[in-house]
Amino acid sequence: MKTAPFTIKSGGGASWAIRLVVAAALAGLALWIPTSASNGLIDSCITALTLMACAMALNLLLGYTGQISIGHSAFFGIGAYTTGVLVAKYGWSPFQTFAVAFVIAFVVGALVSLPALRIKGVYLALVTLALGLVFPQIIKWPKLEWLTGGARGLDKTGFRFTKDNPTYEIFGWNPWGTLRGENVKPFHYWIAMVIVIIVYLACRGVVKSRAGRSLVAIRDNETAAAVMGVNLAGTKALVFGLSAALCSLPGCLSAIRTGNVTPDSTNLTVAGSITFLIVMVVGGAGSLWGPIVGSVLYVFVTEITGDWSNTDSIPGILRPLFGWSNTPPGTGIFAVLLIVLMFVAPFGIVGMYRRLQARVVTVVPKPAGTGTIAAPAAAPVEA
Amino acid sequence: MELFLQRLFDGLSQGSVYSLIALGLVIIYRGTGHLNFAQGEMALFCTYVVYQCGEWGLPIGISLIIGMGVGFALGAVTEVTLIRPVAKKSQFAVFIVTLGLFQFLNWLDGAIWKDQPLPNSGVGSNQTSFPSLFPNKPTDFVNVFGAAIKLQSIGVFLLVLVLFGLLYLLFNYTKLGLAMNAVASNAESAKLVGIRTNMVLMVSWGLAAAIGALGGVVFAGINSNVNLGLMFTVFIYASAAATLGGFDSPGGAVLGGLIIGVIENMAAGYADEWVGQELKVGVALVVILVVLLVKPSGLFGTAKVERV
Repeated sequence: MKTAPFTIKSGGGASWAIRLVVAAALAGLALWIPTSASNGLIDSCITALTLMACAMALNLLLGYTGQISIGHSAFFGIGAYTTGVLVAKYGWSPFQTFAVAFVIAFVVGALVSLPALRIKGVYLALVTLALGLVFPQIIKWPKLEWLTGGARGLDKTGFRFTKDNPTYEIFGWNPWGTLRGENVKPFHYWIAMVIVIIVYLACRGVVKSRAGRSLVAIRDNETAAAVMGVNLAGTKALVFGLSAALCSLPGCLSAIRTGNVTPDSTNLTVAGSITFLIVMVVGGAGSLWGPIVGSVLYVFVTEITGDWSNTDSIPGILRPLFGWSNTPPGTGIFAVLLIVLMFVAPFGIVGMYRRLQARVVTVVPKPAGTGTIAAPAAAPVEA
Repeated sequence: MELFLQRLFDGLSQGSVYSLIALGLVIIYRGTGHLNFAQGEMALFCTYVVYQCGEWGLPIGISLIIGMGVGFALGAVTEVTLIRPVAKKSQFAVFIVTLGLFQFLNWLDGAIWKDQPLPNSGVGSNQTSFPSLFPNKPTDFVNVFGAAIKLQSIGVFLLVLVLFGLLYLLFNYTKLGLAMNAVASNAESAKLVGIRTNMVLMVSWGLAAAIGALGGVVFAGINSNVNLGLMFTVFIYASAAATLGGFDSPGGAVLGGLIIGVIENMAAGYADEWVGQELKVGVALVVILVVLLVKPSGLFGTAKVERV
């Protein structure tokens, strides 16, 4: 085996220096976007952050436990509709609805996971696919129209910043004063950023803990995990619930951001679930960075190719490849990328990066028992 | 009574479509143990091809043969170039590849034929409605105990029965079909006795996609147009049918599809207060859940014994 030219000790000075530089760069970028970027870019970033949170939540379930779900759009929808109904029908402040959505989605997710204890792999994918298809239909159900607004959906589900409406105060601070006459986008951006940070920390907390190791054990060999004393049923139900609950948070944001919810908006249908899944797998299943890379790339590609319906806006070299159709090629490109990645790098872009990095730098993990354990190397996901 | 018969036959003709797609799922599952999530989209692509042939003035019979041929090629090429190489890695990779194929084919359909129901006189289609394989003028029905049953419903139902009969003959009396059975029951032993498993798997995928193409054309005929979302719900009903019948039983898939079609129409018809058009797809979810929880092998499937 070839040895890499450089060696870095995990937890040593060089390792911390790299971490600090990366963290500073990310923080700087996160601050630069809402203050200096154009409105369009901020908007794209909110979209990316929304996808990021969904993909992270799904990653917790699929990447670490190996349970396939194509129904996470339903949990996203639960978030959107909890916020929508409570704000539009009962006059709550949008911020208060996050907790309610979290609890509802957790309970529904845990309930869904009960059959999942017996159903595995692609069969579970089928059940969750059906769930994803049923959810918008339940919203349109005439018996629930008094609550959900039926196929037309709900209006006025966002913040309504008025001077004399104290309902919309956030811990005593009325954003109306701050945002009057200004653009509301940076405000949404910060909500999205906070959600992503919460979801990231929750995933990280679970993954790097004892619970996380039992998850990976379940993924890699269920029987062996059970023999080692992992509580299969409890752990699976908990993770499914948590993943669902985390996925509902960006749903709440979507209701706030657009100011309305409809059962047919993309992220509430199966198309949304598939997007979350693709974003996660392209980025790298089973790694904390995967969803971040995947969602940024996804939004980047769809934004760049968004106006390629017009042949003139396609860069010259690519014109023969994409010029024949008026449909933006973003989805097609990503589908091909997904298939190609399965051949060359089953662990997505992050997995590929790790492999290349290993040729240049050897990261020496800390000796066992001296604190946090280094992230386990990506292992094959059994489905 | 008339209403009951009406709903029964509507259910049977819809169920026939589910049976066709489910047959495709089962044929692939038997061979490799993979669930092809792109089954519905492969069928949709072929359905668009048939529409295009119709635009060029070909009669429906010839268009259908071309469509099924394209389906066979699509399925076979997919198996050889995409599925076989990743199948060695993991089941999960196969799942992701079929999902990628699902997205890609749906995008491709949209890129070529646009996001609109076709035929559409607004964009210059020559055909007035999607060509049906069976007579479907408003006058084409027979009276059965006072219920007006469309000839199309009867035709579709008979088509599925005939196709199932042909498959039965294929699986039980031809060398290829027997080889398929052998691969289904034990791929390694089949290889050892000299069966060319790779060829068998390639043909299975091709056959599945060709049958799917037939299902797509029949459904577009009933629906009288083809659009990008045509196969989404059909796929989930077909999966429910395959689950109900047992994922490795072709007969089960046919029966499962018919049962699901009838249940769906009865539920939407008799319980329209509660189920109605909105929650019809809930039938699929309930059937999948109940079958997987109570009898995971389905009605006619063989129970899997897992070695630890």
